[in-house]
Amino acid sequence: MNREELYDIAKNWFQEQNWKPFKFQKDTWKAFLQGKNGLLNAPTGSGKTYALWFPIVLNYIKNNPDYKTKHKKGLKAIWITPLRALSQEIKQSAERITLDLSTQMTVGIRSGDTSTKERAQQKKQMPDLLITTPESLQLLLATTGYDKIFKDCTAIVVDEWHEILGTKRGVQMELALSRLKNVSPHLRIWGISATIGNLEQARDVLLGIESHALDNSVLIKANLNKKITVKSIIPKKMETFPWRGHLGLHLLEDVIPIINSSKTTLLFTNTRSQCEIWFQKILEKHPEYAGEIAMHHGSINKETRVWVENAIRNESLKAVVCTSSLDLGVDFAPVETVIQIGGPKGVARFLQRAGRSGHSPGKESVIYFLPTHAIELIEASALQKAVKQNTVEDRMPYLNSYDVLLQYLTTLAISDGFYPKELYNEVKQTFCYQTLTEEKWQWLLNFLVMGSQSLQSYDEYKKVDIEEDGKFKVNNRGVAMRHRFQIGTIVGDVNLAVKYQKGGYIGSIEEFFISKLNKGDVFTFAGRNLEFIRIKEMTVQVRNSNKKTNKISSWMGSRLTLSAQMSELLRNELYSSSEPLKNQSIEIRALAPLFKRQRRDSIVPKPSEFLIETFKTRDGYHHLFYPFEGRFVHEAMGSLLGYRISLLSPITFSLAFNDYGFELLSDQQIDIQQVLDNDLFTVDFMLDDLQKSLNATEMARRRFRDVAIISGMVFTGYPKKGIKMKHLQSSSQLLFDVFRDYEPDNLLFQQAFTETFEHQLEEGRLRLSLERIASQDIVWKECAKPTPFSFPLITDRMSREKLSSEKLADRIKKMAALLMKK
Amino acid sequence: MTHLISLQEQYFEMHFSGALFWKEQSMLLISDVHLGKVSHFRKYGAAVPQLAVQQNFDSLTLVVEHFKPKTVLFLGDLFHSALNIEWTLFEDWVQSTNAEIVLVSGNHDIISPLKYETIHIKVISELVLDSFLLTHHPEERDGFFNFSGHIHPAIRLSGLGRQSVRLPCFYKTESQMILPAFGEFTGNYTLEPCDGCEVFALLGDAVLPVPIKEVKKKRSFRKKPI
Repeated sequence: MNREELYDIAKNWFQEQNWKPFKFQKDTWKAFLQGKNGLLNAPTGSGKTYALWFPIVLNYIKNNPDYKTKHKKGLKAIWITPLRALSQEIKQSAERITLDLSTQMTVGIRSGDTSTKERAQQKKQMPDLLITTPESLQLLLATTGYDKIFKDCTAIVVDEWHEILGTKRGVQMELALSRLKNVSPHLRIWGISATIGNLEQARDVLLGIESHALDNSVLIKANLNKKITVKSIIPKKMETFPWRGHLGLHLLEDVIPIINSSKTTLLFTNTRSQCEIWFQKILEKHPEYAGEIAMHHGSINKETRVWVENAIRNESLKAVVCTSSLDLGVDFAPVETVIQIGGPKGVARFLQRAGRSGHSPGKESVIYFLPTHAIELIEASALQKAVKQNTVEDRMPYLNSYDVLLQYLTTLAISDGFYPKELYNEVKQTFCYQTLTEEKWQWLLNFLVMGSQSLQSYDEYKKVDIEEDGKFKVNNRGVAMRHRFQIGTIVGDVNLAVKYQKGGYIGSIEEFFISKLNKGDVFTFAGRNLEFIRIKEMTVQVRNSNKKTNKISSWMGSRLTLSAQMSELLRNELYSSSEPLKNQSIEIRALAPLFKRQRRDSIVPKPSEFLIETFKTRDGYHHLFYPFEGRFVHEAMGSLLGYRISLLSPITFSLAFNDYGFELLSDQQIDIQQVLDNDLFTVDFMLDDLQKSLNATEMARRRFRDVAIISGMVFTGYPKKGIKMKHLQSSSQLLFDVFRDYEPDNLLFQQAFTETFEHQLEEGRLRLSLERIASQDIVWKECAKPTPFSFPLITDRMSREKLSSEKLADRIKKMAALLMKK
Repeated sequence: MTHLISLQEQYFEMHFSGALFWKEQSMLLISDVHLGKVSHFRKYGAAVPQLAVQQNFDSLTLVVEHFKPKTVLFLGDLFHSALNIEWTLFEDWVQSTNAEIVLVSGNHDIISPLKYETIHIKVISELVLDSFLLTHHPEERDGFFNFSGHIHPAIRLSGLGRQSVRLPCFYKTESQMILPAFGEFTGNYTLEPCDGCEVFALLGDAVLPVPIKEVKKKRSFRKKPI
């Protein structure tokens, strides 16, 4: 069959559905059938699955003209999805094609939810089309004889590549692809990505720099212009609207008319605990919604999630309170309206969420922004501009993640083993490890085999062995078993399964939350009030309770930050408050009372001004700085400035950051004049000082946690399985101390610092901000009391950083243990 | 470097390493050393720095040389898990020590008492001396003052400017004293101070009685209307 005949099959199918293929779909079919690799830039709900499932099936038809009568078994294509919740949906769209075209192709899913039985069956006979996650793909690489599984694979599609790209799962994918390129000679690699700032780079990362695969590739853009309308929910009484907070419950009643006037509404919250609270509160205030609203987040059990997703499709729900768990994939035609509660911290994410409504092509998407505190209205206004200008942020890929590489090497050593020389060349072709030197490579190999860089006496370290012919192989079953458990846990805290005492899985929860509970405590989880009974083998046993509670299950989640472009928009919105009314957005106008108060107690800075505020409360001396550059830049600048000040005289700081500014809180007053006289905002020695400040704070320590888990130094166990590994559990914090004291040059220990540097502190942006500050007039206001701008910062108790140049003995002289009086 | 207290007319000296010296008995109490933990991890493929192994033995030597006790009493969890290479190091250390060594068995102590016997260490479940009760798990028994370990206690100190520090400590109530974990790479558990308790924090090179301040309850910021 020639290509035209193949296209006809596809076009006919589209005609039967009364659809017309989009240009991007046809372009993708063509490129794929030409044997090209590529990146498809298309939003959710645009028909992107058909852009790639079709050519995969057509290619099979081409190679097997008797496809209707004969079935050639074996894996033909892999579809990678970051969320296993999406796999059903993807499977259905694939099956539609394989059935309608009368092929005998089979479609299967392999993820953490797949039963052991099904897995074993798959091992005997792989489905033709396999839908899986990055972790499960790694697990396949950990099976003996994996090369046979992938031998005839013609395609791998990485869906939602933009979500995976900037994470360590992205690195996992890069490594898996580098291997597959060599075991699957007919492989095409395709990625699907929503719009991000660095699409070209996203393609480089997917295919490998300077690779043959990249040379033979295309970037296809869907260019579907979708109309998005953003509306801010503006508090009717600005005077009583809070200056701080992150829940947004003050505006709950304003949400009700929106829900009532549309078929189905999705309410996006930023955290799972916020999701739980909103769900609870809506029902409490409006019991008439019982049965008509639901909740959806990543820690609720699969059955409930699937039920909710289906209910959205059947239009049997008025509203769903959800988290990023509904960001991706899944097509929900009935959703008419989306409400974003609190700052989405990213234009791309905001657009994606907006796209969840009016999902059919051509329909308008409507998204409401609900601010959780006053200053967030500035963000709302900036978001409107960003949507208009289509300003989206970059997703930054990781470089030299030694932890992921060690995990990958162990994975290969478990299955068929590897020869370092060959593998080095393969690994070096990935984007992540392009600069990996042979020395570092040798270091990693030594670490795998000896657990150190030289053979020690009195050592029983056991992991990877070197066989006689030089092959690296794991021969110990225990090591292999523990490693398999570990592959899935690329991120996240230790998760415990929540179950009723009599059985019945409700969901999973992070250990840090449960560790705060005592027997008999009641907490809210998955919309239920549950009494905590005990923890038994990684399972939290609970029973239903009628008691009221205000303990709501919470999860740490990751912190996001504003991009450079978004920060600039934000500053401009702020500056517009000093301009004539006609230049102000409705959000800025609504904030008039707040700006008035801010001007009374301090100033609202103009573009040429940099504001510093100082005042004293019973908490101590507050020093506030407002660069308006986004959280990460503030973390960097706060640490840098804190460190430089701490060199002048012994002092201890508690630091708080948000997207607008940062605070240095101390028990002593800082002489701001001295700070200015000493030119402490200078870019000179910035890098050096920043590095030193990292040792003074605990940022790297927190980063180390993931590194320790991924590289297999900390065992987390496995939720639901409850494997006993108690004697092997330690905290990454303890490990961090041991490395600091005994092996500070360890690459994994160093990696924690490098990552903080590259991914959290955004050194490049810090330099630009400092240069901007150098060109501004510094306005130092000694205020009598907290100002509106300062409020969200000084009241932040949760995510503070510490920095000190005082001796411990001197510090604790001023301290005491607190005894709570009941 | 040390801090002296008296209990029921007996004198006890707390050492910054976490050991406690009972003067009248010339007995050194040491809890939760967790020997073999580093090696245990390494044996199972977690590359904890091997150099950390030696530290426990150095600290033991240091504290024994400082007090020169007649008896060293380990209050449980002397070894973290099953036998491994660190046993040999421990044997060497025992050889070089003149004191009589006794182990009050803890939940981690799964190595056979017979093994201990071969190096002349007596393993017991608890020890009663006068009105003092020495156990691994904290215990309340009428008429006795209890010394124990197991908890790995630590205390949080707070100060102005939202400062706080967490330090391992000796935690004493009216009828109990819980010793801090002596071992390297053992971790700790933060205890809240209670009515009538006394806390002595380990400062690295000193032991410091911790002042305890009563507070009503956590203050929270209330927004003032504009």
